[in-house]
Parts: sequence; structure tokens; C-alpha cells
Amino acid sequence: MPTATRIKRFTKLEQITHLCLMLAFIIQSATGFARLYITTGWGKKLSYVFGGYDTCLVIHKWVGVLMIVGFVLHTIYMLTRIKWRSPAKSIFGPDSLVPNFQDLKHLGQRILWFFGLGSPPKLDRWSYWEKFDYFAVYWGLPLLAITGLMAMYPLVTSRFLPGWSLNVAVLLHRAEAILAVAYIFIVHFFIGHLRPTSFPMNETMFTGSMDLEEAIEEKPAWVQRLKDEGKLETVLGSPPALWYRVLYFVFGYAIVIFGVYLLINGIIYSRYVALH
Amino acid sequence: MDRMSSLQIWMAGALLAGVMLLANTASAQEEVASAIRRYKAYEASTGYYEEYEVLPRRQLPLVSIPGVRRGLFPYSPTAASVRNRSRLADSHLGIKFYERRRCEACHVEQTRDIHTVRANLTCRQCHGGEPVASIAHYYSPLNPIRRHAYVCAKCHEGASASYASYVVHEPAAGSSLARTSFPVLYYAYWFMLVLLVGTMAFFIPHSLLVGLRELFKKKRKPKNADSNAH
Repeated sequence: MPTATRIKRFTKLEQITHLCLMLAFIIQSATGFARLYITTGWGKKLSYVFGGYDTCLVIHKWVGVLMIVGFVLHTIYMLTRIKWRSPAKSIFGPDSLVPNFQDLKHLGQRILWFFGLGSPPKLDRWSYWEKFDYFAVYWGLPLLAITGLMAMYPLVTSRFLPGWSLNVAVLLHRAEAILAVAYIFIVHFFIGHLRPTSFPMNETMFTGSMDLEEAIEEKPAWVQRLKDEGKLETVLGSPPALWYRVLYFVFGYAIVIFGVYLLINGIIYSRYVALH
Repeated sequence: MDRMSSLQIWMAGALLAGVMLLANTASAQEEVASAIRRYKAYEASTGYYEEYEVLPRRQLPLVSIPGVRRGLFPYSPTAASVRNRSRLADSHLGIKFYERRRCEACHVEQTRDIHTVRANLTCRQCHGGEPVASIAHYYSPLNPIRRHAYVCAKCHEGASASYASYVVHEPAAGSSLARTSFPVLYYAYWFMLVLLVGTMAFFIPHSLLVGLRELFKKKRKPKNADSNAH
């Protein structure tokens, strides 16, 4: 079957959402790190890329506002994806990203499989680590947004909260940002690029579809469910064009290299951040 | 004519009395022509603030203050005599060799916050010239009853008393000092640190094990292509 070997996984809108999030995340990481490390030579150089210490903040704020807009739009989109005739079934069903007890079971099975003590779990559409990936961002974004807005409008904040809440807000913003950067640039990049099944790149998010054979191996319960429901034929698609593959390989690797560059320098120069 | 001139004299007298008796205008009350031409712009203009800072006067030999110790100032953070100095008009009164020291020689921790490190503010810009009053001294511009108007508003227009409760010299967030002086900051820090370390401690070995396991599975595949055993 040369024309129908791929199984549809993400819609165009979801792919665009991920692309926007990628770009926003990398800009926020770079401008944020430039400011955090401004007392070091590396931080200064990084800030020059974006026009210096002050311009970094302007960019950081505007991209932050765009991310908040994106978050709201994405939430509205996710609400439209719920089948409101049977919300519970839809929210906790196999096509949903909401974690359930099955995920806990899969985690246990997978740990046993790591050590050769059992067969791998029969994963459905979303594995537990993919759900974690999603919700790590989904709870991290509002936290960064709220603390970011507090720091952006300190006088307004001090009208509703005591001024010392700004100390806490800035701390939380920085800590959550470091957590997000560390998670994405280590764990997410490893899963997306370095693990043997994905290497050199997991293309699913850019093509919107994954290889059927790969899906049977990685997510057998999903493929089985689609077969049982008779939907498998409708979700089969064609492979991406070569020029598009080249484009997202270059783009994806540029992001990975820049992310790892930020992370490594962030670790090296963390000793020289003069703040305590 | 006589009545007019006497009215003028009375008005001039009232104005003079007002100038003499009423308090100075605070920074929050000054007329602002533009957002950028404020104290901040003026202060940032030279960058040599520390070069002409005022040295303290010598201690007067005949004046002693009850309860204030003379001699070297014990600058351990737990020394009780530090706290005794929190209500003085000149908080550094009686410290030997004070003239030759810089603020950060004793107040090291106070130089490690955003105002000092990032905005490059010098101590004098908020604490004023010599004699530096203790912040709890009644007439100190940094006394919390007027800090927002006399100090914060120099740069942060519209600062309120609530705004001024921002802790400029915040303690290191994870320190035992923060636990007693700023518990919310302390617990926020440790919560985020545990979250970070916990997430990484789980997901890094998890990812590595996935990688290893898949590597071995792939190698074995040609031999046992039809079975998942091993």
C-alpha cells in the first residue's frame, strides 16, 4: 500500500498551534535567559541578538501576550472538541488527553518492560508521557501568564494584592520557566528526536500523520480501536512531499540545537548570576 | 491702599509660615512633565554616584546615646546589636573606620537583589546621604509610613503603600532566614525546587530507559522478527 501507509494523528490547526507554541517558547526562553543572565558575558551577547536588555523585555512581553491569546483560543478549541452529548465519556475517553487510571497501569507495565519483566503496554492514542507533556504546558502557561502579568503591571497588582506578592510572582515565574525549559530541552527533545524509535526526528507533529506500521507497534490499542470502529480507512493519508520534509528537518533541528545551546550555557553560567 | 498692602503682608506671612512649617514635597507629589525626565533619568545620568557620596561626620566626643554601643560594629547577621540600630537617626553612629568603608563591605546580602544588580542602583539613591537613618526611624524617608511616596515613587510613579511592601532586599529564597522573615517566598521556592527535581528525577531516567530498551529491541528484531519475546 504505497499511497495509504500513514495514519492521521493531528489536524492542521493542531499542527499550527504547535508551531506557534514552538516559536513563542523559543523566543521566550531566549529573551528570558538573556535577561536572567545579563550579568554574564553570555547573557549580554544573547541579549544583543534581540536588541539589548530593554528590547528583550519588550519582545518578551509582547510574545507573552500572544501566548496568552493562544492559550485562550486553544482552550476554546479544546472545549469544542468535547462531545457535549456525553461529556464524561468524551473527556475521559481514549481520544482525550485527560489522564486516567489506565495511564497509571501503562506506566507500571512500561517500567516492568524496561527491565525485561513483561510486555510493553498496549497504548491507545495518547500515552501517559504525551499526556504529561501536554498538561505540563497547560498548567505551566497560566502560571507564567499570571505571574508575568503581575510583574508587567506591578502598580495594578499592588492595588489588589500586597506588594510583596511581586517577590513571590517573580520567583515563581523564573522557577516555572526554568522547569519548562529543562523539561522541553531535555525530555521532550529526547523523546522527539533521540530515542531510537524517533531518531532522527519524530515527524508526526509536522506531517500530522504517523506511519501505520509504527502506529501498530507503538499504539496497538489505538489502531485496533479504529479498526473495530471501522474508521481506519478514513484516517489513512499519504506521505509528505520531500521539500516539506527537508523544511521541517532543518527547522526542527535548528530549534533543537538552539534549545540545547541555551540549556548548556544556562547551566554553565548559572554560577555567575549575581542574584541570590 | 493700606488695607491692600496689609492683606499682602498677611498673605506673604502665611506663605512663609507654610513653607517653613509644612513638610517638604515628596517625590510622589512632584510635578511630572514627562515620564522619562524624572529622578531616574537624572540619577542615571552620571553613573558616578558613589564617587561623591557624603562621608559621615565624626562622632561628637561629648554626645553619647544611651543604649548604643561604641566601637566596631558586629556585622554577623544574627548579632543583636544590629537590631538595636533600627531606630537611630544615624544608624552607623560610632562605627570605627566607617569613613573608609563601602556599604557592601558589611551589607553583602543587600547587594544581591534586582534593584542593585539589574537597575544598578546605589545604596544612597534610596537610603539617602549621610547620616543614613534607620528605616524605622520616625523621620526616615524609608519608614514604611512614607516610603512609597518618598522613595519608591522616585522611579515607580504612582507607588502605593501596598506597592512599597515589595521586599527590595529579599532574603535568599531557600534560606532559613527566608523561612522566618518571608515564609511565602521560602515555601514557594521549595515547592518549585521539589517539582523541578522530582520531574527531572523521574523523566530523565525514564527517557534513558526508553532509549536503551528500544535500542536493544531494534537490534534483536531481525533474529526474532515475528515474536515479541525477549
